[in-house]
Amino acid sequence: MTAQTVRPPRHSARRTLHRMWEYRWIYLMLLPCLAYFIVFKYAPMYGIQLAFKDYKLVGITASPWNNFEHFKYMMSEPQFLPALKNTLVISFYRILFGFPFPILLAIMINEVYMLRYKRLLQTIYTFPHFLTWVVMAGIMLNLLGSTGMVRKVAEVFSPGIGENWNLLYNKAIFRSILVVSDIWKEAGWGTIIYLAAITGIDQSLYEAATIDGCGRLQKIWYITLPGMINMIAIQFVLRVGAVMEGGFDQVFNLYKPPVYETGDILDTYIYRLSFVKSTGINLGFTTAVGLFKNVINFVLLMLANGVTRALGQETVL
Amino acid sequence: MAEANVRIDKKGNVHINKKNRIRRFGLADFILLFFLTLLGILILYPFYNTLLVSIVPNTVYLRYQGLMLWPPAITWEAYTFTFKSALIWYGFKNSIIITLGGTVYNMFLTILCAYALTKPVPGGKFIRFAIVFTMYFSGGLIPFYLLIKNLGLMDNLLSMILPTGINIMYMLIISNYFKSLPPSLEESAKIDGATDLRILWSIILPLSLPLLATFTLYYAVERWNEWYNAMLFVKSVENWPLQNVLRTIINDVNMMATQNIPGQAKPDIQGDSIKMSSIIITMAPIMCLYPFLQRYFLSGLTLGAVKE
Repeated sequence: MTAQTVRPPRHSARRTLHRMWEYRWIYLMLLPCLAYFIVFKYAPMYGIQLAFKDYKLVGITASPWNNFEHFKYMMSEPQFLPALKNTLVISFYRILFGFPFPILLAIMINEVYMLRYKRLLQTIYTFPHFLTWVVMAGIMLNLLGSTGMVRKVAEVFSPGIGENWNLLYNKAIFRSILVVSDIWKEAGWGTIIYLAAITGIDQSLYEAATIDGCGRLQKIWYITLPGMINMIAIQFVLRVGAVMEGGFDQVFNLYKPPVYETGDILDTYIYRLSFVKSTGINLGFTTAVGLFKNVINFVLLMLANGVTRALGQETVL
Repeated sequence: MAEANVRIDKKGNVHINKKNRIRRFGLADFILLFFLTLLGILILYPFYNTLLVSIVPNTVYLRYQGLMLWPPAITWEAYTFTFKSALIWYGFKNSIIITLGGTVYNMFLTILCAYALTKPVPGGKFIRFAIVFTMYFSGGLIPFYLLIKNLGLMDNLLSMILPTGINIMYMLIISNYFKSLPPSLEESAKIDGATDLRILWSIILPLSLPLLATFTLYYAVERWNEWYNAMLFVKSVENWPLQNVLRTIINDVNMMATQNIPGQAKPDIQGDSIKMSSIIITMAPIMCLYPFLQRYFLSGLTLGAVKE
């Protein structure tokens, strides 16, 4: 984007109208797009008022206001705070382990000099990204479930673990399963952006380092890593900005009641309370929880955006 | 000594001795390749194991339960059974409709929006802001659900197509690309009296085909992978996409038997084999396309990164 320092001359209303007429085709093109955004993105925002209302079947507008009842109730709802805590803890683990992994992997892939093999590895690593968590969860059930290979192996080491031994029902390790399986699915995809950053590094730096007698590790440390550091910082900030997103698709397809205690995140909590709970479905309350999450999310993303901009990266907003 | 291998010619170019430039396969390379290959195997093994479970006969499965490196015997019974189920065919039909319809809808909106945003139209900045804002803030699940309900899209294939129109990230990358094309092309067409729509169609689009192919592919994969909206809005089995059919089979394999052709008895195969065959069938289209279109699959993100 070009930085415009010169202000365009002021147009009269007539001139503006004339310019608009000139661009009539462009407005025509924008029309379906704007209709899409208004209907599917902005119209739901109108429904946010439900967070402050008692939802009745008469509709959103006609439902009565309830003086922040939902927000007062939120803090005492027994599953809300655990879900909030789980969301943050799981995100923290994902950042701690899942974030550095693609960086290391990209550096390692970059050190492979056999081009064909390098491409083959990348193809394999990236493949799971294009599958859904529905598929991935099914595969994990096959491996980790009560009839899975992992149980068979575990039986060899500790006989008599029982027919119902199921790793996915183990609340102590459910978060680890989330983090590891997320790396399994997404780490390869995550390397692409870092490999692009590495490609941007001036090759003559490496040649100069070779002449100076630098070893491989030294080149990684003094050239590759500094060349990536800006991208790493940006990705990190964006990742932290998305801390309220616990990964609905993944958790929802993997979790079962025995692991709700450690695995339930805000998104799954909202879904369950809105659609699954058999009694006392309260759409107003779950709208309020959703709003709570979205507002925090929004603030964090804005902060992240600000920091990325300070780091010299162009941002979209 | 490294210095001895370097020569600087009269023009000032640095030459490194050939012998030094050839990288010898050292211990470090060995460890590196060992680790990376191991990681590759770890990533692929679960898929392989899924395939194994789906093709072994009942007797083998009862003995080994997936603890195999090679199938001692092969049967396609699970696949025949799965393909006989009406559920899978509903799934295929709906997923294909959603993928084709959805991708066309996505590309139509995305291209129009991307092109329009390259123009300095009055109000354009505000429109851009309003669009990007939806990346950061949304109404949330319940208002979205009630909207679809009020629009009368419940249990309708359109509920899985219309709400996912434009991926803003993709749209901005495409828009940036359009902006990077030389403006002289457009200007000359404009002088010849071409409308903006005409310019987009016969000048801009042909120049952007590789990029558009990449994003068409991304959209197609996303639509093929649709399950979330279907779970929220679609109750009847006949309208489920493949992923939701798979979800149901994984959760309760008996669901297939009840949805089968009447009189079709469940054969002597493990429920797990049927589940795994359904997984393989759901994955198959992506698995088959991926190796051939890999170049396109891996390029989009980089385009975005370089363009920004």
